[in-house]
Amino acid sequence: MKISIRDVGRARIVEVDGDVDLGTSGALRRTLFAALPESSILALNLEAIRYIDSSGIATLIEVLNDSKRLNKQFVLFGLSTAVEDVFRLTHVFRIFRIVRTEQEALGDAPPPAVGRGV
Amino acid sequence: MTGLLVKFAMASDTRYLPVVRGAVGALTAAIGWDEAECRAIVLALDEAIANVIRHAYGGRSDGPIELECRESADGLEVSMMDAGEAVDLSLICAREVGCDTPGGLGTHIIRDVMDSVSYQRTESGNRFLAAKRLRKQA
Repeated sequence: MKISIRDVGRARIVEVDGDVDLGTSGALRRTLFAALPESSILALNLEAIRYIDSSGIATLIEVLNDSKRLNKQFVLFGLSTAVEDVFRLTHVFRIFRIVRTEQEALGDAPPPAVGRGV
Repeated sequence: MTGLLVKFAMASDTRYLPVVRGAVGALTAAIGWDEAECRAIVLALDEAIANVIRHAYGGRSDGPIELECRESADGLEVSMMDAGEAVDLSLICAREVGCDTPGGLGTHIIRDVMDSVSYQRTESGNRFLAAKRLRKQA
């Protein structure tokens, strides 16, 4: 599993590539918990996740609960069919904010600063 | 003997989970399930192994696990043995689904996906049995 992070305005985008299972969900958990306090919006791109198990779903629920405590937005986007199937099996669709694209995920974010330092 | 039997004798190490998923995915596809059903069965068995690693072995990576996946006359039969701590059967599926509590999702997935599931305690450890029937289209 590979994780990359980039900032867009006041939002932080986390992208995950590979399998999220019992062996890898701990690394995702650490990354998301570290990223959450650093931005107004934490957006997780699930498009390149080939597999996710219940430990991965549990990680997302934990981050969601912490985002509420910190008054941050936690948004998921780019769900693949494989990920959607697991969300359906675990009945968690309704508890997350899920959108299709990164642009939609950043919809509530303030526009990035323009011309600064030029 | 009917069909194909795939056996794993493995340590309770999460590094092996992708190996099992790959083999079980290929087996379920060969038996005849569609892609979504194959993914669901793979997930259910992965969850069963993960439960053994987490709960029976407390996260240890050196506990023995024996998994057998057998093509039966009407689908798939699964048997798994471990030598870890006894499973508390009263806690299996004790969690509500659809809530924002993170734990206990795996056993719900297993029950939802497989047609029959049982957990037994034997003299040599825990035994997990499960089966899934292939519903052929008329």
